[in-house]
Amino acid sequence: MWKNYFKIAVKNLLKRKLYAGINVFGLATAIACFVLLSLYLENEWTYDRWYKNVSELYRVRMDYGEKGEKLVQTAMTPNILATTIKDLPEIQKVVRVYHRDVNIQYDNKSWNEGRFIYADAPFFQLFSFPLQTGNAATVLGGPNMVVISASMAKKYFRDTDPIGKTLLINGTRSLQVTGVAADVPANTHLKFDFVASYSTLQLKEYWGSANYYTYVQVQHPAQLSSLQASLTAIGRQQLSDEERNNGTVLNFIPEQVSDIHLHSVAADSAEERGDIRYNYIFALIGGMLLVIACVNFMNLATARSTERSREVGVRKALGAQRGQLFWQFMMESALLTGIAMGIGLLLARVLLPAFNQLADVQLQIGGAGGYRIYLILVGVFFLVSFVTGIYPALFLSGFRPVQVLKGSQAATPKGSRIRQSLVVFQFAASIFFIICTLIVQRQMQYIQHKKLGLDRSEVLVMNGFKGNVQQLESFKGRLLQLSGVTHVTAASESPVLVQGGYSMDHIEGRQQNYTMNINALPIEKDYLKTLGISLLSGEDLTHADIADILKEKSEERAYHFFLNETAVKKLGWTPEVAVGKRMMLNGRAGTIKGVMKDFHFASMKSKIEPIVVFPEYDWFQQIYVKTGGSNKQQVIAAIGALWKEVQPVVPFDYHFLDDDFNQMYKSEYRVGAVLGTFATLVMVVSCLGLLGLAALTTQQRTREIGIRKVLGASVTNVVTMLSKDFIKLVLMALVVAIPVAWFVGRNWLDAFAYHASLSVWLFLLAGTLAILVALLTVSLQSLKTATMNPVKSLRSE
Amino acid sequence: MIQLQKISKHYPVGFGKNEILKDVDLTIEEGEFVSIMGPSGSGKSTLLHILGLLEEPSAGQYLFQGERVDKMNEKKRTQLHRGAIGFVFQAYHLIDELTVYENIETPLLYKSLSGSERKSKVADVLDRFNMVAKKDLFPNQLSGGQQQLVGIARAIVAEPRVILADEPTGNLHSDQAKVIMELFKQLNEQDKITIIQVTHSDLNATYGNRIIQIRDGHIQG
Repeated sequence: MWKNYFKIAVKNLLKRKLYAGINVFGLATAIACFVLLSLYLENEWTYDRWYKNVSELYRVRMDYGEKGEKLVQTAMTPNILATTIKDLPEIQKVVRVYHRDVNIQYDNKSWNEGRFIYADAPFFQLFSFPLQTGNAATVLGGPNMVVISASMAKKYFRDTDPIGKTLLINGTRSLQVTGVAADVPANTHLKFDFVASYSTLQLKEYWGSANYYTYVQVQHPAQLSSLQASLTAIGRQQLSDEERNNGTVLNFIPEQVSDIHLHSVAADSAEERGDIRYNYIFALIGGMLLVIACVNFMNLATARSTERSREVGVRKALGAQRGQLFWQFMMESALLTGIAMGIGLLLARVLLPAFNQLADVQLQIGGAGGYRIYLILVGVFFLVSFVTGIYPALFLSGFRPVQVLKGSQAATPKGSRIRQSLVVFQFAASIFFIICTLIVQRQMQYIQHKKLGLDRSEVLVMNGFKGNVQQLESFKGRLLQLSGVTHVTAASESPVLVQGGYSMDHIEGRQQNYTMNINALPIEKDYLKTLGISLLSGEDLTHADIADILKEKSEERAYHFFLNETAVKKLGWTPEVAVGKRMMLNGRAGTIKGVMKDFHFASMKSKIEPIVVFPEYDWFQQIYVKTGGSNKQQVIAAIGALWKEVQPVVPFDYHFLDDDFNQMYKSEYRVGAVLGTFATLVMVVSCLGLLGLAALTTQQRTREIGIRKVLGASVTNVVTMLSKDFIKLVLMALVVAIPVAWFVGRNWLDAFAYHASLSVWLFLLAGTLAILVALLTVSLQSLKTATMNPVKSLRSE
Repeated sequence: MIQLQKISKHYPVGFGKNEILKDVDLTIEEGEFVSIMGPSGSGKSTLLHILGLLEEPSAGQYLFQGERVDKMNEKKRTQLHRGAIGFVFQAYHLIDELTVYENIETPLLYKSLSGSERKSKVADVLDRFNMVAKKDLFPNQLSGGQQQLVGIARAIVAEPRVILADEPTGNLHSDQAKVIMELFKQLNEQDKITIIQVTHSDLNATYGNRIIQIRDGHIQG
């Protein structure tokens, strides 16, 4: 019996190649996407959830702001916070983490390392990163100790034992390797290759600078509210009476470590965060593709009922019970699903590297814990078989034999209303995803082309410069002599994402104790010129200004500050008034030298905030070279040669400022790319369904078309007639999809303080695209039928 | 064997109804070869479908081997199909995806016979109809007459008590028709199978031993 069903199923598939192909291909595509997106989501949802004691781990966030202003929420806290809260009864352990890009020398070679952190001694006790060698309690127990990852041990020491070896950091500090940690997995926000003991830094502890992450392990998660109360009290203590009275806020809030990746509200530079909304979108796409492929399956199966009805009638007349026919059709869909599943899995394997690149992840099928995906797939197999089989099976097995067997006239297929609604649903989904993709791309374009207020094009950035002022000056001079180099300057961090948080006080015309939080960036003399930042008032730096700040003792220095428009406005000044005013910045006394036109120094998700830039020659990490001329490669090669001469130890490690900028929108670019790819797939699978349906409809109407042609209908008439019905469905889908897409798109764009507008043409474009694709799909079939010789189609009846 | 008492059949049409059969009384004994004749639309096919349990009468009683079947549920009716009734159609209605062998085997599948039993029964029938050489062909590789032979082979393989044939030669030319009718006669006389056929052809009707004329839903004479 089952053999017979199986045979029938296989033969049916072979006979109806188009039908089977559409179903299998559509379903296989959907399953491949489903597998990839499931792997992606699994990675996202296991982020930071695997530490032992994960329920006790928190990271402390800092919220601050003046009354009436939006709170600044940041994961960066002052280093003294850890010392202050260490002895609170609710707390077991506290660990500070400080990220630093460093240069490491060993055995006359040197590398720039980006995944380097300093952490307090209990780091490996708090976070259960497994250690291959070394004791978690003692590896970071004193100054100048470092734990390295397994792959770094291989990179630096090959096969020799790394324990006890010494690494030279930034040419100044020697660290002894005390342990080797297993490489960190992809699903942690704390990605490191080196962990050095925090005590190495011997930093002064104070409230004035917030550059450290503070992690705590609490005694018991239930005591969270009393911990919060203590933290709030500590925050208030740091405010002056005046600040407390005028409603200034400074608060510390513990955030669960397992929530950091998807739910943290705090600004965080260490690791690019996930976004729960994008996860929902990806889950939606994966599910939707599967549903659409299933819909194709059901649609085609029922549309084919005319053909199958005769078989049903005959079988019933020969003694088949409805139940037996039901299972026959269920088996057919199980078989198709099985084939699609196999192809889909294969496809997923083949596409995985491309997907990894697209989504910027390192996923693998069947890795650790990878059996889960197979379990899910077994579930999907039964679900899809059932869903795709149940409707056709019930529908077809319910045929009454007489209706079918009376003469040669077959039963007319019912349920066309349901089929039409399903097509509308499919196209609405396609159009929705297309509009979303267009919105994301439009916003990305907007960001790319928005005037930043600084010129970031063709600016080469070199990391890891080491040397004193004289060396810098001479390097600068030699760089400027190269052809193709127009300006050279230096700074401590990238101007497209300034993260230094400072506070301004002793401002002329203000009360002594008035302070204003402000972003700040130490710069070199030619900074404004090199980056094309324009001044609204005041003048650029001169050699005399630089001499003022090159004095050894900081008390003798006279600083020169440039505020941006926003900062000046906040202080209630005009750009002209501001120039010459005295102020202090974290203990640096000086005067305001000029006012800069606002420029974007952070993501477009936030409004431009106050910023101050000032020359200070103690911090330079990065050299900026503005290049011009046509031969970029030659200029880079020349700069590289010069670097090797001046900095023989540090590798020539460069990138362009544009890269920094694009890095900031990495997750948006990624979503745009993933969304674009999958939106296309949704459209393709929907069109496959439409293609099959059109093929069947025209096939069923062959005789009608023959008669119409004999009566004088032209090919155009016939194609129009056949296409009209389908286009109506697509139009209905547009009506459904547009409001939903508008709502979602609006919502997404609102996350950006600066965003593109949602113009009508965007929706028109998506609509036109959908109609065109549908028209093309349908008319291919219609045309085939319409150009057929009518005599032939009539005779075949 | 078959007893119809005051059988009526009508379909709703708009607000009224379209009467196909009116108060038909009919008795057919075991071993008869009955031909039902009448003009188009007279109700002969409907009568055959009711006899074959493919359709339910709107009113009246139907006794098959002394059992009321007009009120049977679908399951019991299916049992009767399998055991007692075989169908032969004008359009053959073979399953295109199955070979000759598999088509003939299908009714046996629904009777849940074992593999070896099925094999021997199908082999017997193939042998008897001289179709052993064609057993692996598909229906569309056969002529109309050969297809109808397969149709008949399929109808008798489950050893029914009665064969219902709806214009079995309607799509065949006269030579082929003759072969089919001879076969029916043989099945009736040798195998004692009751045969009820619907036909337009007076010639075909002569193979049987009784003719029922039907006109406007009434049996004449």
